[in-house]
Amino acid sequence: MANWKKIGAGAGAIAAVAAIGAGTWAYETLETSRSDVADDNVTLATFEANPEAAERGEYVMRMGDCAACHTRGQGEMAGGYEIETPFGKLVSSNITPDTETGIGKMTERDFFNALRQGIGQHGLLYPAMPYTAYAKLTDADMHDLWAYMSTVEPVQNDIDENAGMPFPFNIRLAMAGWDMLFFKNEGFDGDPVADRGRYIVDGAGHCSACHSPRNILGAEQGSAYLHGANVDGWHAPDITSNAAMGVGGTSAEDLARYLGTGTDGVAVASGPMAEAVQHSLQYLTVDDRLAMANYLLSVEDSGAERTAPAKIADSAELAYEVNCSACHGLNGEGIVNAVPAFKGNNALLADPSSLIHVMLNGARAPYTEGARTAAGMPSFAWKMDDAQIASVLDYVRNSWGNQAAAIAPAKVGRMRETLGASQPISALPE
Amino acid sequence: MNRREALFSIGAAAAGAGIAGRASAAELRGVPAATAQTADHMPGPIVRGGDFKVFTDQTDHATLKAVFDRLIPSDDHGPSASEAGVLDFLDAQLAGPYGDGAAYYLEGPLQPGHEEEVMGQKQFLETPRQRYAKGLKALEQYAQDNDGASFAALSPDRIDEILTGMEAGRIDLPGGVFGQAFFELMLQNAREGYLSDPIYGGNRDFAGWTMIGFPGARYDYRAYVDRHNEDLALAPVSLIPSN
Ligand code: HEC
Ligand code: HEC
Ligand code: HEC
Repeated sequence: MANWKKIGAGAGAIAAVAAIGAGTWAYETLETSRSDVADDNVTLATFEANPEAAERGEYVMRMGDCAACHTRGQGEMAGGYEIETPFGKLVSSNITPDTETGIGKMTERDFFNALRQGIGQHGLLYPAMPYTAYAKLTDADMHDLWAYMSTVEPVQNDIDENAGMPFPFNIRLAMAGWDMLFFKNEGFDGDPVADRGRYIVDGAGHCSACHSPRNILGAEQGSAYLHGANVDGWHAPDITSNAAMGVGGTSAEDLARYLGTGTDGVAVASGPMAEAVQHSLQYLTVDDRLAMANYLLSVEDSGAERTAPAKIADSAELAYEVNCSACHGLNGEGIVNAVPAFKGNNALLADPSSLIHVMLNGARAPYTEGARTAAGMPSFAWKMDDAQIASVLDYVRNSWGNQAAAIAPAKVGRMRETLGASQPISALPE
Repeated sequence: MNRREALFSIGAAAAGAGIAGRASAAELRGVPAATAQTADHMPGPIVRGGDFKVFTDQTDHATLKAVFDRLIPSDDHGPSASEAGVLDFLDAQLAGPYGDGAAYYLEGPLQPGHEEEVMGQKQFLETPRQRYAKGLKALEQYAQDNDGASFAALSPDRIDEILTGMEAGRIDLPGGVFGQAFFELMLQNAREGYLSDPIYGGNRDFAGWTMIGFPGARYDYRAYVDRHNEDLALAPVSLIPSN
């Protein structure tokens, strides 16, 4: 999942705007009249959900992929996912109906405030919780999600979300300044039925949380909406209608298939996108996925162009044949529904972080109803040194019609270090 | 399952079908997402040779080199065993579990004669490392006793004569070393070193694989299976790429 590292880049600045935020200017962002539609008496622990509403709410939970951050081996929705930021560690909350350690004491109104405005039980939430996107959720979806949350099994799991953050970053009020600058306290500005694709992409799906670059204060840059960005050592590529680097050349049906199965027959989702597909998007209806795909194909072209080609080393072709061709094909054709093709795969051509990541740590394709192989990409960290990895990726990125700039071996070296991947055995002392 | 349970499960199936408007989904559990090598699965470091851990005795080393370079001499087909790193290979092997005889049953009882009869070949309680230590000393002793010279200083013809005698079972060595069995051990190890992946120290610069035309640790031959009766000139490839 996303690392939100950049959120910390402007830590000092955040502290500075805290003072302003604490003042009256934050009135607009902290104004909670949108939650008037919610009940403020019954707590989650005591709420009796209508089963149909809860079932619809489960669907909203899937769209929002709450489990991605809130289920991390300590029980369903019991929190505990540690998100490293340069100003300290943030831990996702226990959102089961447990009254002591979960959100059992929240009323529906409190829940609405937390999800759509980032106002939590202990104060303002950090934007690692994607309330900036969930703000778009309709009242109806929120009521249903609330109903679903009440059916979750209470789990006792005490979490001190920001205990890992030193002063002054642990002051939640600082987020008031951030919210004032970057948070729009507004619902979805279109028709959530007619505009279903955009409603999911921008709302529950929080796609731009990974696919849009962030500014120095960790806020998404509206001007570069879905232009592609780096998250936690992965690159979430351009998914605008751009044909050179984005999804422009893909049909809506293929794009919808990718969202539902993790593959369109060419690309295969890896890393955080594989998780999003496996735990969230494959649960959506075919119509919803098609609506999202059609919307993506209508998003304004990023204007991105391919970079100048890299020179391919003489040894790279043999290295590819020997190490990669069995799975990815001699002509980069891949294996349909299992192993990504390199031919006609735009996601390879931008920032190479995901490719290096996969080479160093290996990866596993998502397992979905529609694509059940869940094939593994082996790690080559033990086998190839930084220059060898850069060179074989240069080959992949500049063959079969592909074109992309050379990868600096030093970049591979830096990622090897941050990912904690092993050194190649040729570099180990005998 | 009784009838009521059967009805219930049909009901459940129907309820499942009721939400069919939804895409069906499946998740795999218990399969690790990570495919990276864990430390206990990592191969050992590449053997580069030079520093001997087992063959530290000058005379032992010289004796073994003399034997190996007669088993695989340098000629038109390729370098000699020692030139191709086979001593480095064997030294590294004997320093590890192979040298410890980790894969062998090395407890008694051992009843000479009877055991050999049952097993069809000689049996040993020593580890391969001990057999080399003893065998090489015995070879040197044999040369001193019979030729009045160091084994390594003998002429190639004389070495061949001794090795041929050992192979045929005509020559046993001092100290109760079975000549034939020790010869077979050395021949086997020389071949292994000459033909195993270069990461283990032998087959240096693919000398062995080039000699026999073996293309090495390639993943996939689909590109070549249909090409018959032609020299594919496939360059040999190590498990660990060197370029
Ligand atoms: C990208 C990760 C992420 C996703 C996805 C996510 N959350 Fe969170 N959530 C967090 C983090 C981190 C916190 C703690 C933030 C803090 O304490 O400032 C949090 C806090 C919360 C809180 C506040 C808890 C409290 O005690 O005040 C609620 C409620 C919540 N999340 C519900 C949800 C729901 C419902 C969804 C799905 C629609 C969801 N979250 C999806 C990361 C996430
Ligand atoms: C947690 C981060 C994250 C989230 C959230 C996320 N993505 Fe992705 N996405 C990625 C990454 C990383 C990749 C690159 C995967 C790869 O290289 O295989 C990717 C790849 C893709 C691709 C393939 C692009 C190509 O050219 O092959 C599409 C399409 C896509 N995402 C759409 C979406 C949509 C739609 C959403 C919202 C519902 C979404 N993503 C949410 C991280 C994310
Ligand atoms: C055993 C089969 C196998 C071999 C061998 C293999 N790969 Fe992969 N590779 C895969 C699979 C499966 C995936 C998809 C993983 C996922 O979706 O998480 C993949 C994914 C990738 C990706 C990520 C593509 C993306 O969209 O982000 C790159 C880059 C890659 N492989 C490069 C290579 C290179 C270079 C080699 C040779 C050095 C190689 N692979 C060898 C199976 C293999």
